[in-house]
Parts: sequence; C-alpha cells; structure tokens
Amino acid sequence: MANRGGPGGRPNGTAQQQQGGGGGGRICQFKLVLLGESAVGKSSLVLRFVKGQFHEYQESTIGAAFLTQTLCLEDTTVKFEIWDTAGQERYHSLAPMYYRGAQAAIVVYDVTNQDTFGRAKTWVKELQRHASPNIVIALAGNKADLSNKRNVELDEAKAYAEENGLLFMETSAKTAVNVNEIFQEIGESIVGLFVLVVGIQICRSEQSRLNYVSKIVYSLWYRK
Amino acid sequence: MNSTRPQMVIILRYDIYLFFGGLFIYGANVSLICEDGGMDNGCRSQLLDSPDVTLQRENIAKGAAPIPARESVVRYQMSMKEDDYTYTQSLRVFVGTWNVNGQPPTVSLSDWLACDVEPPDIYGIGFQELDLSKEAFLFNDTPREEEWMFAVCNALHTAVEYKRLATIRLVGMMLSVFVQKQHAPHVRGIAVDTVGTGIMGKMGNKGGVGIRFEIYNTTMCFVNSHLAAHVEEYERRNQDYRDICSRMSFTKFRPPKSIVNHDQVYWLGDLNYRIVDVDPKKVKELIDIENFDPVLEYDQLIRQHNLNEVFMGYKEGKINFRPTYKYDTGTDNWDSSEKNRAPAWCDRVLWKGDSIKQLKYRSHPIMRISDHKPVSAVFESKVRVIDTVKYRKIHEEVMKKLDKMENEFLPQVMVDTTDVIFETLRFLEPQTKELIIANTGQVPVQFEFIKKLDDTTYCKEWLHIEPYLGSVRPGEKCDIRLEVYVDKRSASKLNSGQDKLYDILVLHLEGGKDIFITVTGSYERSCFGSSLETLANITVPVREIPIGKLMDMELENRKDGLENTVYPVPKEVWYLVDYLYRYGLKEANLFEQSGLHSELIQIRNWLDNGSQDALSSSVHSVAEALLLLLESTAEPVIPYNFHSVCTDCATNYQQCRQIIQQLPDLTRNVFLYLCLFLQELLSHSNDNGLDIKTIATLFGAIFIRDPPRSRDSQNSRTQQTLDRKKANFVYHFLVNDQSDLLAIT
Repeated sequence: MANRGGPGGRPNGTAQQQQGGGGGGRICQFKLVLLGESAVGKSSLVLRFVKGQFHEYQESTIGAAFLTQTLCLEDTTVKFEIWDTAGQERYHSLAPMYYRGAQAAIVVYDVTNQDTFGRAKTWVKELQRHASPNIVIALAGNKADLSNKRNVELDEAKAYAEENGLLFMETSAKTAVNVNEIFQEIGESIVGLFVLVVGIQICRSEQSRLNYVSKIVYSLWYRK
Repeated sequence: MNSTRPQMVIILRYDIYLFFGGLFIYGANVSLICEDGGMDNGCRSQLLDSPDVTLQRENIAKGAAPIPARESVVRYQMSMKEDDYTYTQSLRVFVGTWNVNGQPPTVSLSDWLACDVEPPDIYGIGFQELDLSKEAFLFNDTPREEEWMFAVCNALHTAVEYKRLATIRLVGMMLSVFVQKQHAPHVRGIAVDTVGTGIMGKMGNKGGVGIRFEIYNTTMCFVNSHLAAHVEEYERRNQDYRDICSRMSFTKFRPPKSIVNHDQVYWLGDLNYRIVDVDPKKVKELIDIENFDPVLEYDQLIRQHNLNEVFMGYKEGKINFRPTYKYDTGTDNWDSSEKNRAPAWCDRVLWKGDSIKQLKYRSHPIMRISDHKPVSAVFESKVRVIDTVKYRKIHEEVMKKLDKMENEFLPQVMVDTTDVIFETLRFLEPQTKELIIANTGQVPVQFEFIKKLDDTTYCKEWLHIEPYLGSVRPGEKCDIRLEVYVDKRSASKLNSGQDKLYDILVLHLEGGKDIFITVTGSYERSCFGSSLETLANITVPVREIPIGKLMDMELENRKDGLENTVYPVPKEVWYLVDYLYRYGLKEANLFEQSGLHSELIQIRNWLDNGSQDALSSSVHSVAEALLLLLESTAEPVIPYNFHSVCTDCATNYQQCRQIIQQLPDLTRNVFLYLCLFLQELLSHSNDNGLDIKTIATLFGAIFIRDPPRSRDSQNSRTQQTLDRKKANFVYHFLVNDQSDLLAIT
C-alpha cells in the first residue's frame, strides 16, 4: 500500500517494507528531496525522470511539488516520493520541512553558474548538519548539455563530492543524460544502506551482528 | 539404533535471509521445512488469484477508492500477464500410496519408491493404517511415524538429494512431500490440513490429510485419504470425499484456500471402492490371465466416477495391475481367511489439472508386509516458471503505468496569487484580501494551511485565515479570506521591528504538494505599541520620527531603562488624561462604557500626527484609547519582572509601596500619575457613580499585565484569585496619600 499518511497526513516516506510481487522481491518507499538554487533545473530533472518530458520554459516552483516514481532494481522495487522544493532564497527557511525525514537528497547546481555550485555546497553542509544522519546525498551538476558555457569544472565538483561522500553526476534534464542513472544510483545506495541497518537490527547477539557486518563489508568490497 | 529420527535437512537460508533483511520481506526465496509442516512465508500465493481487484478509475476520481490499493493492483495486473513472463518446465512427480495394515517397516521401500531409472522431481507419499493401536486413534501419537519416515527417506531415489517439504499425519493417515534439492529454493507457501470423517463424522480413523505449496509459479496440492470401508458403503465413501473437499482448508491464507484452488491436485489413498455385482471367483480367474477390462466394469469407483458422483474433474489412468487388496500377509496370495474378502482396487491415484501426463500407474506386489500392495503413479507435470528478465520488464511497465496514473490523480490546484500584498496597514484598522483556490485536478482536494517546522501556529498572530482548511471538488473553487489586523497584542513587536508584516504560508494539499503563499504589507507605526520610554523621549508626534530611529530607540530601551527622559510621563498619556480631567470627571460609567471605533482611529491619528486642532471626541473613546495605549506596550506599566512580587504582597501596603519605590522613574511616575488621576476621579463618585473596587480591578489588570500566554495555561479559579490580588495592590494607591512617593522624583 502506498501509505502516505504520516501523523499529520503528510507524506513521510518512511522506508517501508512491503510485500512484493512474484520475483520482484521487496518494495521500499523512500522520501527524496531536491534542493538547490532557483533555476538550476530541479523541477526539470524530476519532470524528465517521472514523465520523460522537458520544457524549455519550466515555471518557477513556488512551494514543494510532489510526485512519485517507481524504480525496479535488482531485486527491490523502490518507490520514490519526490519533493521538489522551491529554490528561491526567501523560501530557504521552509526547506527543513522537506528534508527532515528524507532518506535521500539531490542537491542540484548549474554547471554554467559558479554561484549555484557555491549554494549547493551550503545545502550539503546544511543537510549534513540537520538532516537524518543516514541520508544519501547526491550532487547533480545539471545543464551538462551547455558544457561550452561551463563555469564549474567537472574535476572540481567530483573532488568535492568525493571529499564529502556524495554520489555525483553531471546531468542534463534536456537531453536526459544521467537522469535515470542518478536516481538509480541513489536507489541502489539507499537499499544497500537500508539492508545494512535492518540487518544489524535483527541480529540478536553481538557476535552475529559482527559477523553480519563483516559479511556486508566483504560483499560490498567484492562488488567494487 | 534407537535414534531413528530421520536427519532432515532444514533449509533455512539464513545467510541469504539476513542479507536481504529477510525477516521483513515476504518475497524472498526461502522455504522453511518443518517437521509438522506448519509454517513458511506463504502469503505471496494470493497474488495470482486475487479475483476482484480492478482499476476503478471512476471511483478513484470520485475519491471513493484511494489509489493505495496499489499493491493489489500490481498483483492483479501481473497475474493477467502471467503468460508473458513465464515458461513451462516439466517435472516428474511420483505419487505413492500404501495401506500398511499397522505393520512396522521391516523391509526396504526402494522397490516401491526408487524402482524407476529416472529420479522424480517431487515425491508425494501417503500411508494408511500406519498404526492400528488405540493410542494412535485416541491420542494421535505413534512411534510408527518416525519409523516409516526413516524408511521412506532411506528409500528415495539415490541419484539426487531430496528435501522434505512437510509431513502431516492424522491417526493412521500420513502424507509426506519431498522435492529435489535444486527445486527447494523455488518452493513457497507450504501449508497442511487434516480432515477426520471417521466415527461421528469427525474422528481421524478415516478422512484425509493434505499438503499444498507453490513450486515455481504453480500451486500444487497432495491429498491422502482413507475413505469408509465395507463393500456396500460406496455412498459413504462418496460422502467422505465431498467432506474432505469442503472441509480441508489452508487457513494461513486470506481468504483460506481449498483443495480446488490449486493448479494441480494429486489425490491418493485407500479409497476403499470395491468390485461388486460379479462373482469373486470369476474375478480371480480373469485377473490371473491379466484380463482386467471386464473386471474394471464392476469397479465401484469407476462407476461412481462415470456417474459424476465422486471425483468430478479428476482423471485416473488406465488400471493395468492386479487388485491391491486383499492378500495374505507375506505372500501374493488372495485372502484365505474366514472372511475370504473379494479382491478390490482399493488403493488409487487420481489427479486434476492441465499439463499433467501420467507416465506410469502400477502396483508393487513385491512389497508383502501388508494385506495391501502399494501403488504408485508417475506423472510428467508442467509447471510455470518465471522468466526473471521478462518478469522484471513487465513488472516495471506495470509500475510505470501505475506511477503515471498515481501522479495523474494527485491533487492539483491553482491559486490566483502566491503573493498577497496589503496596502499600508494601521493600528486597529483591519484589511482583508481574498485568495482563490481552484481545484484543477481530477480528485477532490483536502487543503490545509499547515504549521511550519517548530512553529506553534500556521500564521502570524496579526493574520487570520478563514477557512484555514477545507475541501474542494474537481472543477470547483474555494475563496479564502486573509485578514490582517494589528491590535494591542501585535503592535509593539511591529513597532520595534521585532516582527514584520511578512509571513509565508504553507498551503498543503493532502497527499500532494505544498504551495507557498507570501503575505506582505507595510505597517504604519503608531504611539500605540510604542514603549513608554520612547514616547516620553520624543517631543514630536510619532509619525514625525523616521522609522529607523524609532526602531533604534525601542532597541535602546530594551537594553537598559533610561534614567532620564525628556518628559516625566509620555505626552500621549498626559494628553489623554488631561482630556479626561477636563471633560470627563463627572461622566457616568467612565472606563466602563466602550468608545467608538471611528473615534479611536481619530484619536490615534491625532496623537500620531500631531494636530493644531483640539481633539473632539467622546470621553468614553478617550478613556478606551488610554487603556489601549497602556495595554499595547511591550512591557506593562509595572514591568513583567515585578509581576509575581506584586501579587505576592498585594495585601501589605508597605511592601507594595516599596515595590513602587524600586520601579524606574518613568514607570513609577506613570503609575503614580494615573493613580492620582484615579483618586481625583473617584472623589467625584457622587456624580460619575464610579466604584473604587471596579476601578482597582480594571487598572490592576492593566498595570500588572499577565505575561503573554500565561493566561491560557491557568484555570479560571486561579485567574480570579490573581485578578483579586492585582486589584488589592492598586487599591492601596487609590485610598492612600501618595504625595511623599511623588516627592522622591
């Protein structure tokens, strides 16, 4: 069931486990929030991901748009509850309403605009300080199709992302490059994390917990 | 060897289980094998036969059916497309049945169970009369179960390994199902049940036991039954069959599953149907020359089956073996006892379901320890196997379709503006604007202005939203009234710049998005809401002071009370009191009758702008303006930090005087100035009819104002006591001469 009723009837995207269909394994429901300076393409990324569309003149978001989209991973179906927030500075103070309780965030900047990259960094800092400690943060350098007007170097952003443990991709909502991919990667990494957390919780003894964690670490290492 | 308990391997893929957080996951491919066959993770099987889940777009649009039925919709949709993502695979199913007449297993069973070259994929093995003792009948407890299980396990085909899925026994009827180890991870939903149809129609000496499960994407059910005995009792047997069908129920599923709810059913057992209406001698002769056909015409089961009285929809293979009953134990000779029972094909195997082909149907005369011969049937059964790649693709398509629909059915509204701008707002003068919420989506919308994180209210105190929640049907709209009104509670914060006429409202659509509505306006500062200090320090009307300076002064005052002010009391207080002194001393009901709103506005303008013209207003409006002026300040005349001492020592005049002496000069002056005025007013009580207690109560509440919000948390009783103490405090200063206190300044 796509349960959306938090205590206040607000979508809360708790990592719900649901009964899966045949062969499809689990269904997890996650809350994902998009943050970033206005006009960097947050709504466009969501529109591309959810509806496969792109509008050259996307209206400015005044509020927080809500959409859902399902991704089928290896053996898990991930349902994202996506909150696309307003980028304008005057709405900054309202952002915590949306990133609080989120399992994932995409912080978006515009590769042609250095200021938006700076703003993205402040968002990352804010998330690291105030969001859930397990939140998966992805950094998206959008408008990658305009690389001839680039003002943020790929390596600079990559280095920053690595330093801060963020997933990172340059994306283009216009040409669809890396749009599905970034959501996919977020989904995989959340599921991995989630499995880890749940797994640890169900281990009763210290020893089994230790065994379990070492097994996970081993398998992750092996996969790389 | 005493420990004859078979060493069953329990496949509990705990490692995988843990890895996928399995305890919370229903879909994981794990099969639990348990001794009593009672558990596993079987809810999944519902997915293929949910009968009544359909997409009711209309109902969803009307809001009657919420989309969250999503999971069942997915299941239904997937079941409709099953052919697209499954392929068939043939499995060899071995079904065996034997009435062992209470004998222990003293011989190997491999001649029965492993007589074929090719190992079966699935074994369904049933026994009857496993134990004929009273204990077994009364307590359903027998050592034979273990003995026979051990014998069975040792006699399974040795070419491959098997896992036991479940064993179920009712008195003498026992059924066990085994699958090849390679298939075990694809088995789910194991469940068992028993039905007694014996004595009283309930006891377990006759009846049936069943095991059901899913293998790959196919549901299977094995039933082992021992039906009523005696030649003439064929109708009883038919009845037993019907009872087993109707009463066997796998209740772990919702709704519970019956035998009929399976793709494939294998029914085995001692069905006890006999050969009748023919001379047993003749029968034996025909059988000796293996001419079975004429004899089969007299078989009760075949007759009843053809009449559709029993086993409707089931098939049975052609019988090409000698009757399996009744023999002298240890031999292949017909019963030579006194009863001299006629031969009968008591032991049978039937099946139901498509894609099942019987390969063999035979008896095993070499097994001689019972008066029955065991029977076995081998089938080539096709099961549906999920093609994971195709399944995922189709599953994803279904999901996408649902996402699209879900997003389409999200609540959608348009608001006519997200910026509500008010013109210049003045103290006590409300303004309203309308906001239109139009439902442009396909579902009814529940909207609500919600609190922002950590806020206690959904909007600032100077704003009022009507209605702040409601619902709008598709195509309809709702007008929202936003009223801004600055009164005595909010004026001081706006004056000092602590608050602004600026608020962002969060309009939330239940189950959908949020819209931000920004409310702005500019506030025209007034002496109402200014601090006494500020008013006492400016010599010109408030409106003549630049806003920045006014805010600075308020900030200064907040830091430290000023020692010396330009005026001993604020001029605005003096203007109002002077007016009352001149025109109102003899007015009845002064301070009790309320003023006119229009005159209050006029007085406000007169004070704020300064005017050469004399004020002309009713004394009642002036009196109310004075109270309002004293009530609108950030700090009351007697500051909040004196609040509790004042009420604590309200009965003691000397202590009250000491408190007044400790007050800053300005507030002490204002306090005493007003008290002296009130004394003067009360001295005319013959004319104005004022009562000292009323005045003391009224001004007690104003001088010793309760801190904000403290009033909400108190019950009316304590509030009454508090109000009485405040009146007491003020009372002292209305009846005693205060000139010595004034002299201090």
